[in-house]
Amino acid sequence: MRKQSSPLRVRTSLSNTSLSRRQFLQRASLAGAALAAPCLIPGSALGLNGAVPPSERIVFGGIGIGGRGTGVLRWMLPERDVHFVAVCDAKQAAREAVKRVADNHYGNQDCKTYPDIREFLALRTDIDAVLIATGDRWHATASVLAMRAGKDVYSEKPSSMTIAEGRAVVATARRYGRIYQTGTQRLSEENFVFCIEMARMGRLGKVHTTYAHIAPWDAAEMRHDWLPAEPEPPKAEVDWDQWLGPCPWRPYNSTYARGGWRGHYDFHTSCIGEWGAHTFAQAQAGIDCLNTSAVEYRYVNNPTGDEMVTVFPNGVKMILSRGDKWWRGSCGMRFDGPEGWVAAADGYSKPDVSSPALLADFRKIVADYMARTQRPMSHVRDFFDCVKSRRQPVANPEVMHRSMSTVHAANICMWLKRDVKFDPVKEEFLNDAEANRLRSRAMREPWII
Amino acid sequence: MSNSRFNLTLGLLLAGVLVAVGQPSPLAEQQEAKLIAILKSDAPRKAKADACRELSPIATAASVPVLADLLSNPELNHMARYALETIPGPAVDDALRATLGKLNGRPLVGVIGSLGVRRDAQAVPPLSGLLRNTDPDVAQAAARALGSIGNSAAAKALSEALADVSAANQVAFCEGLFRCAESLAAKGEHQAAMTSYDRLRGLSAAPQQVRAGALRGAVLTRGNDGIPLLGEAIRSDDYVLVAAAALTAMEMPGASVTKALVDELGRLSADKQILLIQTLGKRGDAGALPALMAHARDGVKAVRLAAIRALPEIGGAPAVPALTDLLFNADPQIAETAKSSLAGFPGAEADSAILQLLTRGTSAQRVVAMELVSRRRMSEAIPQLRQAASDSDVNIRTAALKRLGELAGAAEMPALLDLLAKSTNPQDLAAIEEALGAVCARAADSDASATPLLARLATAKPPQKAVLLRVLVIAGGGQALDAVRSAVKDSNPEIRSAAIDALNSWTTADAAPDLVALAKSPGSSAEKQLGLRGYLRWAADNEIPPRRRLEMCREVAGLVERPEEKRMFLAALGGINQAGSLSLILPFLDDKDIRAEACVAAVNVAEKMAQGRNAAKLAPELVAGLEKVAQVTTNAELAKRARAVVAANQ
Repeated sequence: MRKQSSPLRVRTSLSNTSLSRRQFLQRASLAGAALAAPCLIPGSALGLNGAVPPSERIVFGGIGIGGRGTGVLRWMLPERDVHFVAVCDAKQAAREAVKRVADNHYGNQDCKTYPDIREFLALRTDIDAVLIATGDRWHATASVLAMRAGKDVYSEKPSSMTIAEGRAVVATARRYGRIYQTGTQRLSEENFVFCIEMARMGRLGKVHTTYAHIAPWDAAEMRHDWLPAEPEPPKAEVDWDQWLGPCPWRPYNSTYARGGWRGHYDFHTSCIGEWGAHTFAQAQAGIDCLNTSAVEYRYVNNPTGDEMVTVFPNGVKMILSRGDKWWRGSCGMRFDGPEGWVAAADGYSKPDVSSPALLADFRKIVADYMARTQRPMSHVRDFFDCVKSRRQPVANPEVMHRSMSTVHAANICMWLKRDVKFDPVKEEFLNDAEANRLRSRAMREPWII
Repeated sequence: MSNSRFNLTLGLLLAGVLVAVGQPSPLAEQQEAKLIAILKSDAPRKAKADACRELSPIATAASVPVLADLLSNPELNHMARYALETIPGPAVDDALRATLGKLNGRPLVGVIGSLGVRRDAQAVPPLSGLLRNTDPDVAQAAARALGSIGNSAAAKALSEALADVSAANQVAFCEGLFRCAESLAAKGEHQAAMTSYDRLRGLSAAPQQVRAGALRGAVLTRGNDGIPLLGEAIRSDDYVLVAAAALTAMEMPGASVTKALVDELGRLSADKQILLIQTLGKRGDAGALPALMAHARDGVKAVRLAAIRALPEIGGAPAVPALTDLLFNADPQIAETAKSSLAGFPGAEADSAILQLLTRGTSAQRVVAMELVSRRRMSEAIPQLRQAASDSDVNIRTAALKRLGELAGAAEMPALLDLLAKSTNPQDLAAIEEALGAVCARAADSDASATPLLARLATAKPPQKAVLLRVLVIAGGGQALDAVRSAVKDSNPEIRSAAIDALNSWTTADAAPDLVALAKSPGSSAEKQLGLRGYLRWAADNEIPPRRRLEMCREVAGLVERPEEKRMFLAALGGINQAGSLSLILPFLDDKDIRAEACVAAVNVAEKMAQGRNAAKLAPELVAGLEKVAQVTTNAELAKRARAVVAANQ
């Protein structure tokens, strides 16, 4: 066991060996608490903004903001050039909760609420950009509708339910010149960027294997049952038809709308999509495969896809991993090359490396990345900067679609219980009609995009 | 959960290898027949919905009639399409088309959508007619479906319908025509695609996203012939078009586009200049460098900053002197931005320029150059840094040592140690200590990095020896610890103090026995206190097994006298959920100076012990202790927690 020590000298004196009452009580009260606050740099600290005149503010709205969405919104609200003005949600309680957050932030009662997404998008032509955090089933559909209505989009992940939906997002963003960022925020965090850059720059030799974390809960096998029917609430309280959106109809049960939609085939992208939406993008970034998807998927006979080997067009393997074998936190990734390895997961003070010498250039590599790409180490700031500069953010539609296609193909491999091969250019499986027929799902009217 | 949970995979498995190459297997046929039978039966909605879903990846033309019958079923029309949409062959298209005249409302919208997904060219005439349907959902669905079919007949129908489209339907009709244009362009029918985009550009009252998209399409389909359109948009007063032009330009490589953008740059307002400069940076064409350098040198500050930031995105030798000049600009923001750009600037030319600045610059320039040497990890500049570390200017020396520490490896240790031996100035000593520490911190092998330090220890004078002892903490390893142990016994107070500091800062628990020995030694009171506090920190380290930590606490229980030490003692015990830790805590409930901390520690321990395997056996001890906590604490919440433990264990 070796404690972390600053490279700078550690002086000991009586004054700093003692423990004050305040420190003691603080330590006691925090014992056991999970302290994993995100470290985001406000835009003002980046020297990009200063005081932003109202005319340059990004008028911002929200669609389907629940627990996760509120967390993202709280990162966004302090951005000085953003003004959140309205929220749309099929659930009354959710839209009112978000209104309270926004109104508390601005000290007024101005945030407007809308129950219907189509009405919201049609009426609020003043809104420049939206945050979408509805749950997997609606992310792509809402993104397409919003971009078609002229909004730029920050969408939470997993950002598509099928390969076809992902392609529709890409096409719509291009068609209307919209800025789109998916919420794979680790692409804008130092530790992950460092690992990606180390792999990309060949500092590990030619990377032969990357590992990507999949969620340790749920499974790749999906539920097809319906929860018992409950009386449907008034439409103003929960608009069940809209909550379901493009998914097949099923009777109302309050569990779904409280987050119990996970694990259901119609609503969720499985344990692979849950974290693969993040980690596949991270892994693909490090092996220069953000414009493609894995071409081979080797079925594993377990319920989750753990240890599935996928192969990219450049021959690099990406191995799905469910546990903490390769890291010590959530959404981990690792790159292995002949000259070493690097790994990162949430909560790391610095990435894990095969040799301390690999960390020597940590600052330089991150700084070089920022200078070369002009991207801040803040995913939301990157999005807002791009809304102004009109260039696509780090997690742009193509990045989302290619990494999510890898997610969808891995799921299809698990559902078919056999190896599959995928052509990322044609976006079709090779010699596998069934797999190809799972690339899309007929959308329920009127939510056909 | 229903049994149907795994039906999909079961069905797919049954389909087997033959289906994988396009031929239905006998097993798949059996599965399909079984699912068709469910659809024809009186099975409940759920079973039929499941059957449709399971048919989706395997169904053949044999399923089409029964599924087509469901298209008018208000409960199952969507699930019927769910199965139908993926079935290959014209039978599905025929069936969908046949229902167009029989349905209305949402079922009709659904069927129209499926015809679009299937790109059924024969559906163009009926869908064209539906563009004028009075139900906006139907008309909009028809427009999108026509767009998905995307042939010239569909484009013509949409283009004509746009002439008198209602406001509610306008975006959907535009969406349809966009899709047609994309499809036509993909098929090489550029003239037809251009015509469609121009039709969309001509809609002066269209929403901003349509105008932006139409401009993009019109420019991209024209290629270089579209450059004048791009320039026109950039010059316009419509910021939507300006922004769309910028985004479009990022999709267009080539010197002609760069030249056109650069030509526009000088004539634009600052807002547009910033947007265009960012675009030029993103495009990465070196042809933009002269213009960007000019804008980096002079003009509106925000524009200059954008240009300075854009330069490293392009790279190239000519930009290096421009950035180097700006390093010392009177405006600190300009200077700092230039420094960041140079730090990340690609290529050897930037390294050369920085080296030149380091060797020939003024004192201030050399300090900045050394920072850049470090940020760029220019290990080739280590000889120059080593030389600067002996400079007559203390600021240069300090900066050089700092950067040497950041860059140097084991090879530089002898040089740093030579400098240490020669230095007497406290500022120099501190800088050398920091540099040595940084080098040791990066080393993979503790003993290897400690060896050169140990070699100098015997001959070093007291101030230098103190530095070496502190650096040994960072090097770590058994040999280093042995040297520190010896130095604790040194008769020179300066060396002994540094050694005790080092022992106390040691990063592994190997030093714990030495600390407790120090605490028990007959030495000075201050040294004993340091030893005790260092030992108590290890007793609180939860990486050491709890049983061992409890033993450590017992070992020093009699030495704990001062309030600060009592707090550390209780902090350690509060994290040890072992029988026995509570009995060490409880006496402190009578100590008014430390009672609050004792109460917290007691409750924390007791709550966890109460959930442990030996809870029943320990119950009397827990109850007695926590009853007392409940009596003496002034914290109501803590008293409540204590009473809860008592109640649960009585």
